[in-house]
Amino acid sequence: MQFNNVTCPHCGLLCDDLSLEVNEGLVRLISPSNSPCAAAFEDASINGKLPSAQINGKDVSLDAAIERASEILKNASQPLINGMIADVQASRATVALAEKTGAVMDHANSSTMRPNVAVMQRIGKVKTTLSEARNRADNVIIFGSQVLTRFPRLIERILKPEKSLGSEDTLSKTITILDAADCETSDQIDRHEGLDYHKVNASSLDTIIQAFHSIIQETPELTDDTDSMTRTLVELKNTLLSKNYTVLIWNTGLLDPIAAEQTIQTLTLMIKSLMTEIRCVGMPLGGSKGEITANQVVTWQSGVPLPTAFMSGVPIHDPVTHNAKAMLANQEADAMLWLSTYRSTDTPPTTDIPTIVVGHANMQCDNVAVFIPVGVPGIDTRGLACRTDSVATLPLKKIRDINLPNASDIIEKITQQI
Amino acid sequence: MQVTSSKKLLSKYKIMAIKLSGGKIYDPAHQVDGEQRDLYIVGEKIYHELPDQEKVTQTYDLKGCIVMAGAIDLHTHIGGGKVNIARTMMLEDQHQHPQEGDHLCRTGCGHAVPSTFTAGYRYAEMGYTACFEPAVLPVNARQAHMEMADTPMVDKGGYVLLGNDDFLLNMIEQGVAQSTINDYVAWILNASQCIGIKVVNPGGIHAFKFNQRRLDVDEKGPANITPREIIKKLSRAVHELGVPHPLHVHASNLGIPGNFKTTLATMSAAEGLPIHLTHIQFHSYGAEGDYNFSSAACEIAEAINSTPNVTADVGQIMFGQTITTSGDTMMQYFGHEHAYPKKWTVMDIECEAGCGVIPFKYRDKSFVNALQWAIGLEIFLQVDDPWRVFLTTDHPNGAPFTSYPHLIKLLMNRSFRNDAFNIINVDAQKMSNLSSMDREYSLYEIAVMTRAAPAKILGLSDHGHLGEGASANITVYTQQDDVEQMFAKPALVFKNGQLIVKEGQIVKTVHGKTHVIKPEYNEDIEKPLKKYFDNYQTISLPNFKISDDEMEECIGSSITVHPCVRD
Repeated sequence: MQFNNVTCPHCGLLCDDLSLEVNEGLVRLISPSNSPCAAAFEDASINGKLPSAQINGKDVSLDAAIERASEILKNASQPLINGMIADVQASRATVALAEKTGAVMDHANSSTMRPNVAVMQRIGKVKTTLSEARNRADNVIIFGSQVLTRFPRLIERILKPEKSLGSEDTLSKTITILDAADCETSDQIDRHEGLDYHKVNASSLDTIIQAFHSIIQETPELTDDTDSMTRTLVELKNTLLSKNYTVLIWNTGLLDPIAAEQTIQTLTLMIKSLMTEIRCVGMPLGGSKGEITANQVVTWQSGVPLPTAFMSGVPIHDPVTHNAKAMLANQEADAMLWLSTYRSTDTPPTTDIPTIVVGHANMQCDNVAVFIPVGVPGIDTRGLACRTDSVATLPLKKIRDINLPNASDIIEKITQQI
Repeated sequence: MQVTSSKKLLSKYKIMAIKLSGGKIYDPAHQVDGEQRDLYIVGEKIYHELPDQEKVTQTYDLKGCIVMAGAIDLHTHIGGGKVNIARTMMLEDQHQHPQEGDHLCRTGCGHAVPSTFTAGYRYAEMGYTACFEPAVLPVNARQAHMEMADTPMVDKGGYVLLGNDDFLLNMIEQGVAQSTINDYVAWILNASQCIGIKVVNPGGIHAFKFNQRRLDVDEKGPANITPREIIKKLSRAVHELGVPHPLHVHASNLGIPGNFKTTLATMSAAEGLPIHLTHIQFHSYGAEGDYNFSSAACEIAEAINSTPNVTADVGQIMFGQTITTSGDTMMQYFGHEHAYPKKWTVMDIECEAGCGVIPFKYRDKSFVNALQWAIGLEIFLQVDDPWRVFLTTDHPNGAPFTSYPHLIKLLMNRSFRNDAFNIINVDAQKMSNLSSMDREYSLYEIAVMTRAAPAKILGLSDHGHLGEGASANITVYTQQDDVEQMFAKPALVFKNGQLIVKEGQIVKTVHGKTHVIKPEYNEDIEKPLKKYFDNYQTISLPNFKISDDEMEECIGSSITVHPCVRD
């Protein structure tokens, strides 16, 4: 059976024009053809028997697995709820579980989400959304060509539209893509015409951004000795100043993890200084593992963003002290629930503490204390997901019925038994 | 207050009848002004006489108590992306105001922008039973509804934002028939599951995307139309569709000295059709005096008094830390230099709207802030008809909603008000005639502006009053001299017949409904809309629309549909 207008949750763009074919347990992406997301949909296919819930790698009943999961979390002094690769409903259920157990909640993509949140808390932000960029932008600067690999339909759906509400300039946007010397060039660069691609002599994207900020603040005098990166960036500045609406695009995961927060702050300050005269906006792209969804839900329900600690009975956001990676490294958690529903490959980090996985049915989790296979949101369960721009929420349809349970139902049952 | 109950009767009768005995009833919808009467609650409804075959299972002796319908906030920012941005930016405030959970209540935090659960509890603790989010962006409607669904205790509803969306602006520019605009307005109300239409800085948010920094009512924006034309078309559409709530207008030039002229022009743009001017305090400024900033409350109040098609909520400011959240990117950007702490967020959104979030600390020793405070009160005291002026702080923009009891005391107690006036900035005192105003609001008038009038203007026929058959949303206060204390901590709050608050404490948690309207429209409007979505948007038309079952199953709130009635 064919389903149209299906939402794809496999990157933060949440394209919703997909056609999928479902044949009993098998799932196949029909269009767009040749999409890198095809594999992620096929990953949901189940041929034959449904995977069973497991305790220590042995098949058990669903009820027994839920009971064991509850016991583990109940007896833990400091549980950690991690992963959170899920839709709105499961995220909601997880907040209730975290409250009840005094857990710390964090997301699998926490490290790439945090710099954007921290900068917003410190100085705010100036942003735009996908449709606005599509119709309004006449100039786009992308920091890192791998952005195009990570968001495979960005050019096709957003940056090179066939039609636009704006002028001719918004149809034929100036699109400049910058890579540092060591960056791997995205194979998308050769697939699209008219992209202005520069691999500049800089050690990282962060260095390019800092250099661009300096040039925006004050244009250096160009001499015969001026290096090529400076020349490129000065030209970019001149273009930017001549355009009506410039969108700066980055993906935190491509930045230097240590410098990312500083880099994003620089980008934000640069945009804010430009805004005194012209329109220039940021469009950070993320959300490939549902982190925008999880963070939105946790923020409205608890009042603070992820990571969120409930150990004192009230929600605390202290990402330095309470984050999953550090807690696991420092042995500060004694039980972990890993929620991961979109892909079988998003498995939990290796740890020696008892781990409960509420996960994608095809996930291989022999070495965890409890594994509970659940439906994939947008295939087995109806739900909602939030897009990279934190503005649009898209519906996820139920298009297959093979009796895989909702992750939210499982988490609610675990919570009830604690 | 004495409570008696009969356990035998409790088990015998399926539906409990509750008797509220001897309270002083304030029910302006039925012109009842402090009369001592009994009320009965059977199931979810109010009765004046005990129905046959029902027995009273519980009696509350309410001698010395004041009984009103549950309060309704018709303009409070409690859901949607901008609120989450504000929560994120206000981390210190969130941490300073923790809400511990217990067997009834969920945890949360926040004062200026509380978490959803906390917001619901705080409203119920003050006797509110319905709240309306006034800035639902169409593309963000799902999130706004999800946040409201996670706001317990109270009923909810939203006003969907139009007037900066390219689809409407292009239709107006092309001169399409009013009936086509009506179809679009009706369609968007259905698609977004909302109860009203709001316009914010008509055309101005759109113009800001083209780097225009100001747009006055009769100035053409980049779409080649004026704000006046947008208001005219939208107010007519709302009227002709029979939408109960008038077009909800956040006027142009918010916060600009001298903007009262813009506000008067905005009123006239409706050409006699109903129009609601929101947070009008921010739009009632003159440009006189040493600081080129003065009160135009008198001019605005006079205009309201003499223009029966106009209603307004005040958007009173209170001194202290808060955060401003608005769709008005143009004016938020203009005001960003006043941010405290120094941080600000501005977003352009989906060719339909925008959002600006700026923390703000109103100071009583600041000339401008002190005068803003006085201007709000001057408007309250100079608008004659309490049915046409509503008690709001534009939460959280003027102040958090938890300041309502204090605001009520300022309105009801002249000496308290004058004491407060005497300690604000001296130059501001000189620019205000507040201390000469004798008016003190009565309990009846407070009941009008917080219950009867909002229900009436929203078309909620069984809310906001205590008539026979009304929803049993009832707030009981123990009468006391200090009305701030009284309104802060009701003795009893009933939501749909269930006791949810006792002595200001939550005793039961409930989930309210989402109030919507579904005006009819010609489905042909989906043809140009489909083309618009296919050609320009990044969501498909079918996925943009929120169905009734999605509201229930995914978003988490069931809907109550109210009729649209043409005059």
